[in-house]
Amino acid sequence: MEDIKIITKNWGKINPLKISDYIEVGGYSALKKFVAGMKPTEAIGEVKVSGLSGRGGAGFSTGDKMEMVAKSKKHKKYFICNLDELEPGTYKDRMIVDNDPHILLEGIIISALAIGAHKAYIYINGNYEKQFEILEYALRESRRKNLWGPGILGTKYDLDVELFSGAGAYICGEETALLNSIEGYRGEPRLRPPYPTAVGLFGAPTCVNNAETIANLPWIILNGGKKYAKIGATCSPGMKLYTLGGVVKNQGVVEAPTGITIRFLIDKLGGGMQDEKEFWFAQIGGASGHLVTEKELDTALTFSRDCPIPLGSGAIVVVDKTANIYELMLSWTEFFRHESCGKCVPCREGTFRLHEIISRLQDGEISERDREAMQDILWALENTSFCPLGKFAATAVRDAVEKLKILNI
Amino acid sequence: MKIKINKKEYSAKENETVLDVCRREGIRIPTLCSHGKLKREAVCRMCLVETNKSDKLVTSCTTKVFEGLEVTTESEKIKKAREINLELLWSDHAGKCVKCKKNRQCELQTLAQEYKIENFHFVPRRGEMTSGEENELLRENWSRVVVDEKNPVIVRDSQYCVECRRCINICPISSYGFNHRAGDVVVGTPYNETLDCLFCGACVAHCPTGALVDQGDIQKVMADLDDINILSVAIVDPAILSSVENELENVSTLEDLTGFLRALGCEKIFDLSWGFQNYVGKVVEEIHPHHAKKGIKKMHLSNFCPSAEIYIEKYYPALTKNILKTKRPEELMSEAIKGEYATSEKIDPKKIRVILLSSCTSRKKLQGKNIDHITTVRELGRIVREKKMEKDEIKSSKVDKFLDGAGKQYENLYEYGQLSRVVSSQIKGKFSVGSANGVVEIGNALKAEFAKEKHYDFLEIMICPEGCENGGGQSIKIKE
Repeated sequence: MEDIKIITKNWGKINPLKISDYIEVGGYSALKKFVAGMKPTEAIGEVKVSGLSGRGGAGFSTGDKMEMVAKSKKHKKYFICNLDELEPGTYKDRMIVDNDPHILLEGIIISALAIGAHKAYIYINGNYEKQFEILEYALRESRRKNLWGPGILGTKYDLDVELFSGAGAYICGEETALLNSIEGYRGEPRLRPPYPTAVGLFGAPTCVNNAETIANLPWIILNGGKKYAKIGATCSPGMKLYTLGGVVKNQGVVEAPTGITIRFLIDKLGGGMQDEKEFWFAQIGGASGHLVTEKELDTALTFSRDCPIPLGSGAIVVVDKTANIYELMLSWTEFFRHESCGKCVPCREGTFRLHEIISRLQDGEISERDREAMQDILWALENTSFCPLGKFAATAVRDAVEKLKILNI
Repeated sequence: MKIKINKKEYSAKENETVLDVCRREGIRIPTLCSHGKLKREAVCRMCLVETNKSDKLVTSCTTKVFEGLEVTTESEKIKKAREINLELLWSDHAGKCVKCKKNRQCELQTLAQEYKIENFHFVPRRGEMTSGEENELLRENWSRVVVDEKNPVIVRDSQYCVECRRCINICPISSYGFNHRAGDVVVGTPYNETLDCLFCGACVAHCPTGALVDQGDIQKVMADLDDINILSVAIVDPAILSSVENELENVSTLEDLTGFLRALGCEKIFDLSWGFQNYVGKVVEEIHPHHAKKGIKKMHLSNFCPSAEIYIEKYYPALTKNILKTKRPEELMSEAIKGEYATSEKIDPKKIRVILLSSCTSRKKLQGKNIDHITTVRELGRIVREKKMEKDEIKSSKVDKFLDGAGKQYENLYEYGQLSRVVSSQIKGKFSVGSANGVVEIGNALKAEFAKEKHYDFLEIMICPEGCENGGGQSIKIKE
């Protein structure tokens, strides 16, 4: 196991509120390298070589996305850092801000300049009040050091960075809903195509990247994409923050390469099960994630489409046999019944009815009619909903029914 | 380009969607949210089809055609998707069809019949819940229902709403929006205030269900029609002929309609020719003194469209004084019916009931001393359906003669642009006229006037696109 740390390298070692601490450990040198002599295309080239993919869960190639916006001939472009972290059980982005806000800012500034944007937004979850203040402070400090604003570090680069607080809606983590939210509309996903890289914020080409993805940028610029590509799984290389939760000994955020197995995550990084409890299943990737049972524990987690268990946001919740599965299912369905935006029929009505049905089976018994209805709703959510939220709403419930064989369906 | 739909080849144009091609070629694809030129939202998920490009179902209303595209519009999978989503909608629907004002003119009902939705297995039944749960469910369901009956024109009841967003997209001043989220979504006004809009009625015309219906009591109209001591006089707005067929089968001409109305119990039926003629005369009389004075450049705005009048009052209050004060054709005419006409025919005006069959919903505000009932095309359809009239009994007939107008046909002022043409032909000298429909055009015309780029002596303004032909009181086809 390589003992490399990219995102968490400064955690606990520096005072996150002091920009001088960050600069002392080599911070903002990537930005300096970039503005001093790197062409934007070179920087994007490095990101492409690195094979970095979106850490928000979809796993789209970051380099490709940046290139699409950079290539656009339109004058107005935007860069957005997606910090609307609302996936239950995930708090990696929050930890980045808590421990090292400047690595994020550096990444944002580099990405925005590389794609040719003059305005960058940080879209932060409305519940992250403390993190909002940390970022506000960090922005003020870095502004004083001329790290953003007009004429960055004495060069021709201009960039304005704005902190924008969402209102705490799960759907606003979806990039098009996020755009609507910044524009002042209801947070609802937009129809695609056109993709945000072509028609995004206020109609301009926009690159929306997850905070964790962005935090990788300074390292890639400094050390080169080739070196980054050697870390972790070949299909989606790099380091990843995993949020361990549930009945593991060491809960919290850990940085580890992609491509490690779930068993390694639980036993080595998580320190094994709490109090020798018996493992039942783990949920990978938050409320929208799949459930894995004992026999799938040796699956290597990657962002590749061929990976049977999508890594998603990197949250792992370990559940032991003493847990009440019906209560868990109720909490999942309640989450989606609350967080669906209500735009399309299957998701609006389906999540509502699914929650009703699950609340009726709290005694472990299900009527024939509910069983049929549940199957129909899950099918409709998976096949007919407008955006991925509908599909996610069905994932865990379907896994509980099919993999855990509850209800004997 | 060529595309294949259900294994048959069709030609399609660039930028057309699959739904556009199917509509043109007469291939049935059900929709609840998409309608005409309205923004394609792809939210009802009824128009899902299969293509050769992916194994996913895609919405035909937003999928653009491309060379080599093959589409399947009917399959087991598509049927299943439509059935489940329809049933989900039904479970959340009031389902009080018999009492609903949209009964038999409802798109949801039509689709439910088409797809034979009869199971309601998503809704819990009595016995499957404890009484506590049942109370909770009722309480929760009712807490989300919003009913707005306080405005003079439009009744809104969220129990019937299918959240298709047509009203949101068609409203010229964006009165509606989604409130709350997920299963609690209710289409409504900001902060659920009583609707205070232009009352153009476009939302009512486009509502696929009974969530938005006309304000008004057809029972009173029917009672007056049946009362032998009452002389029911119908004034027919010629614009309604463009959509009356959607409500009354095989009725498309004024003669057909007149016959229908006679069978319905209208003793006298007039068209609006007399009203139009007198209206134009009065308009010219009002404009002329200003125009004759040299050096005064006053812009006169037509008052013909009540919604446009509200629009000016609300958004350009300084221009309120520029709106004509002349009474509208139907006001002039109803006044004459209860005045001159009653005297000449020796009828007690108190025993006359004037029913205006209108293509307009905002005219409902004109209801008063002279006009007793204002009935939209949709309401006329309801009256006919409630009376269970048979088409066989009806012979077409001519409208009655009215005073000196003697049934003479006059230009139909409901046609967009007609009023400004007629007025300019009757005013001598240099007189510039213009017409604007929709809030965007009106805004542009007024902007040009303010910027002194273009001056209009008389500007005809209408809120509905292309005027009353597409008026808010019209009926739209339930199957596109």
